[in-house]
Amino acid sequence: MRKSMTDYELIEEFVKGEQSCFEELIRRHKSKVFAYISLYIRDQALAEDLFQDTFLKVIQSVKSGKYYDNGKFISWVMRIAHNLIIDHFRRVKQLNTVSNDDYESDLFNSKKLAEATVEDHMIKKQIQKDIRKLISQLPEDQREVVILRHYSGLSFKEIADITDVSINTALGRMRYALINMRKMMEEKKISLTIN
Amino acid sequence: MIKTLRPMAKISTQFLSYHEIQVDDIDLYEDAFGFYQEFGDVFKLLDRLKPVPKKKLTERLIERVRQMN
Repeated sequence: MRKSMTDYELIEEFVKGEQSCFEELIRRHKSKVFAYISLYIRDQALAEDLFQDTFLKVIQSVKSGKYYDNGKFISWVMRIAHNLIIDHFRRVKQLNTVSNDDYESDLFNSKKLAEATVEDHMIKKQIQKDIRKLISQLPEDQREVVILRHYSGLSFKEIADITDVSINTALGRMRYALINMRKMMEEKKISLTIN
Repeated sequence: MIKTLRPMAKISTQFLSYHEIQVDDIDLYEDAFGFYQEFGDVFKLLDRLKPVPKKKLTERLIERVRQMN
């Protein structure tokens, strides 16, 4: 029943007191939000905090009547996540501290992990680490479009709205990002070692 | 010459009207730019990374949401 409801219908029911409707929204959008945050924030614990803070902020805003439906609930949530990330970097800049934590490999859940051999598993982890590095080396504006499009599944129209640029600019950034990533793949000889 | 022609649609593919074309899961802008055709190798590599929140993290969040209400 709830699975067939639109985001807005779920919000309406949640505001009326139907708690489980917000839980459905979390289940529906958690991967998009988490992918966006975790590809920006190296520190896993911090990424998890920001992930939770995003949804808690969504609740506060919904309850105080700050959300008006225009069919773009997920874009609005991503904008909240985006602002929380920016706030975090501002705080870090003020404190002048930078985390040197490397990317945590246990961020990735693999269903077939148990079946894979140790060697395959290590290669897989290395590839994932390489991909993260590849993405992190992109210029900020290009990285954002790649994450929002490929990992969070937003349309270019939604990305343009969130990043305050035209659709053409978002598309252009994506193209440059793909060209740059291919170049880096060739330079660093990164490829799909195992299938 | 005219006698050999057959009416359209009996032997050829039916024309589709615009509303019959399924575009729900397609980003038309991306489709128009042909990114997937041109950069298939890059996308294939990016697909190898699937960041998903741990089950415990989702459960913790849902618990906090319940406490808020």
